[in-house]
Amino acid sequence: MHYVIIGASAAGLAAAEMLRQWDPAGAITLISDEPHPPYSRPLLTYLLSGEARLDQVWLKAPDYFEQWRFEARLGERAVQVDAAGHEVRLQSGRVVPYDRLLIASGASPRLPAIPGNNLEGVFTLRTLADWQRLDAGLPEGGRVAVVGAGPVGLKAAEAFVRRGCRVSLVEMESQVLPRLVEGQAADLLHRALEEWGIEVFCNTAPLGITAQQGRVRSLALADGRELPTQAVLFATGVTPNTAFLTETALAAAGGIAVNARMQTAHPDIYAAGDCVQSVHLLTGKPAYVPIWPAAVAQGQVAGANMAGAHRCYPGALPQNSISLRGFKIITGGLVQPEGADLEFVTEFDPHRVRYRRLAYKNGRLVGLTLVGRVEDAGIYFQIMGQQLPVGDLAADPRGPDFHPGRLWG
Amino acid sequence: MKTVIVQPERCVGCLQCRLACAVEHSRTMELAAAIREQVIPRARLRIYPGRQHLAFPNKCRHCEPAPCQQVCIAGAISRRPQGAVDIDPERCINCAMCAMACPFGVLTYAPVHLAPEKRAVALKCDQCPEREAAGRSPACVEACKVGALTYGEWQETQQDKGRALAQAVFASMQAPQETASSLPATIRVWRQLS
Repeated sequence: MHYVIIGASAAGLAAAEMLRQWDPAGAITLISDEPHPPYSRPLLTYLLSGEARLDQVWLKAPDYFEQWRFEARLGERAVQVDAAGHEVRLQSGRVVPYDRLLIASGASPRLPAIPGNNLEGVFTLRTLADWQRLDAGLPEGGRVAVVGAGPVGLKAAEAFVRRGCRVSLVEMESQVLPRLVEGQAADLLHRALEEWGIEVFCNTAPLGITAQQGRVRSLALADGRELPTQAVLFATGVTPNTAFLTETALAAAGGIAVNARMQTAHPDIYAAGDCVQSVHLLTGKPAYVPIWPAAVAQGQVAGANMAGAHRCYPGALPQNSISLRGFKIITGGLVQPEGADLEFVTEFDPHRVRYRRLAYKNGRLVGLTLVGRVEDAGIYFQIMGQQLPVGDLAADPRGPDFHPGRLWG
Repeated sequence: MKTVIVQPERCVGCLQCRLACAVEHSRTMELAAAIREQVIPRARLRIYPGRQHLAFPNKCRHCEPAPCQQVCIAGAISRRPQGAVDIDPERCINCAMCAMACPFGVLTYAPVHLAPEKRAVALKCDQCPEREAAGRSPACVEACKVGALTYGEWQETQQDKGRALAQAVFASMQAPQETASSLPATIRVWRQLS
C-alpha cells in the first residue's frame, strides 16, 4: 500500500505516525511545499518576540524521516490531484501515484483586498519564510500597524513592542479577541495592552496603505483616521489551501468536506487539519476550527482509517490559549451560546487579575473563559467535551472553589 | 512502567511530599540552601482538601498517549525511554497549551532555575529522572510517611489492592458465622426461615 500525504505539519505528521503504527510495511510519502524540515507554526510569533530561538522551532529530530521510514518530498508543491487516476502532480512536473491520499495542506493567511496590500512593508505571518521576511524588514524602533486582534495579532503586537516598535492594533469588531472572549475578560486585556503601550483601534477596518517611494507610509482606516506606519502586519485569519483541488470537486471556500472518518467524497482521499471543514463538537454544525489540537486529532483519525481502522472524529472543540508576558487566557467552546436554558457563572478577582466565566446550556458546560489562573482548564474541557451533566458530577464546577480534590478526592 | 501510585485514602495532607519535591527540583538539592535560592524551587504535585478523604494528592499520571505531549506546539514535551513524560524547560514557551489539554489539571507555571531567563515555564512531575537512573524512589515517595505515595508497577498495586479487598470481604463473611452459634435459638430459626 502506498500512502501519500500532502502537507507535513501537525495533521500530516500525526497521520503519518499513526499510519506507520498501523501499517509497518506500507510506503508513506510526505509532500510539502515547505523547503524546511517540519517546524511549529504557532511558534513563529514566539520567534518574533525572542521567546523562542530558531533552533527551537524544529518539531522533529534531524533523522526523523529515516527513523520512521517516511519518504519526504520537501520543497515540492502539489498542484493537481487526479482522483480517478490516483495521482498527485507536483509543480516540478513529477507525478506521485497513491493508493490512499491524505490532504493536510493547511491554510494560508487571508489578505484584505485593499490598495497597497502588495507593498514591501506589508506582511503576514504563517510560514518560516514569512517570519524571515518580517524579521529582516521590521523597522526597529519604528511604527508598526497590526490588523486583526486575534491570537496571532495580539501575540505579534506584543512581540513588536518588545522589539522597541510603536504598535497600533486595528480590529474590525468592538473588542480584541472577538468571538473568543466577552466583556470583562476583554476589558482586562484592553487594560493590559494599554499598559504595554499598544494603541488599539476597534470598530474600524483598513481601507488602504499609502506608500512613499515604494515604502509603507501610512494605513488609512474606515473611520477616517490615517495611522502613520512603516510596516503593516495582517493577522486577519486564514483560509484553507484547496486551490490545487479544483479538478476533484473537493475544494470549497469553508474547507474540504469530510465525514466523521475524515474521508472525502472520494473514498481513497482523506483530509485533516486546517484545510478541512469539521463539525463543532457542541452544536454538531459545520465549523471551521483551524487549531493545532484539532489538526493532530484529525490527523490521527485519518491515519488510522487510511490503514484500515474504523475510527471516528467526534468533532472539533474550539479552544485557544493566549499567553502574553505571563498574562494567560484560555478560552473555548461557545462564547455566546444560543437558545433557551442558559446559565452564566462569572467570577472576577481584580486584585489578583483572575477571571472565570462558565457558560451552561441544559445543565451542561458549553463555554469557558479563564484569565490568570488557567491550570484547571483541561478539567473543564473534559467536562465540556464529554458533555457531562454538571449536576451528576461529584463536585459542581460552578462552585467558587472547584478544584481536583473536590472532583476526585 | 514504574510510577508513583497515589492512594488518597491514606493521605493525611502533611505536605512533606511537596517539600521534598521542591528540594529535589532545586539547584542545590539541599533544604537549607534551597529556600535561599534566587529562583524559588516549586513542588510539582499539589495536595487538595478532599471530598471523602482528608486530602487528595494530585500529580501527573504520565498518560499514554499523553494529551499534553500531543498539543505542545513547542515540541517541549517528550516521553523518556523508561516511560515518564517530561517537559524540557529549555524549549517550553509558557503558552499554556498543556494546561488546556491535561484532563487532571496538574500543570503549574513558574520560573525554574534550569531556565532562569524565562518568566515562567510549565512544571509537572518528572518522576525524578536522576533518582530513576540510580534506581531510587522519587523524592515524594521517600518523604511520604503514611504510604499514600508508593512507587511501583501500577498493575501490581492494583493486584495487591484487589487481593486485600477480597480478603476483607471473606473476613467479613466469616465473622458472622463464628458468632452464629451464640445467637439465641429463636433468632437462628427465624433466619433459617427467611
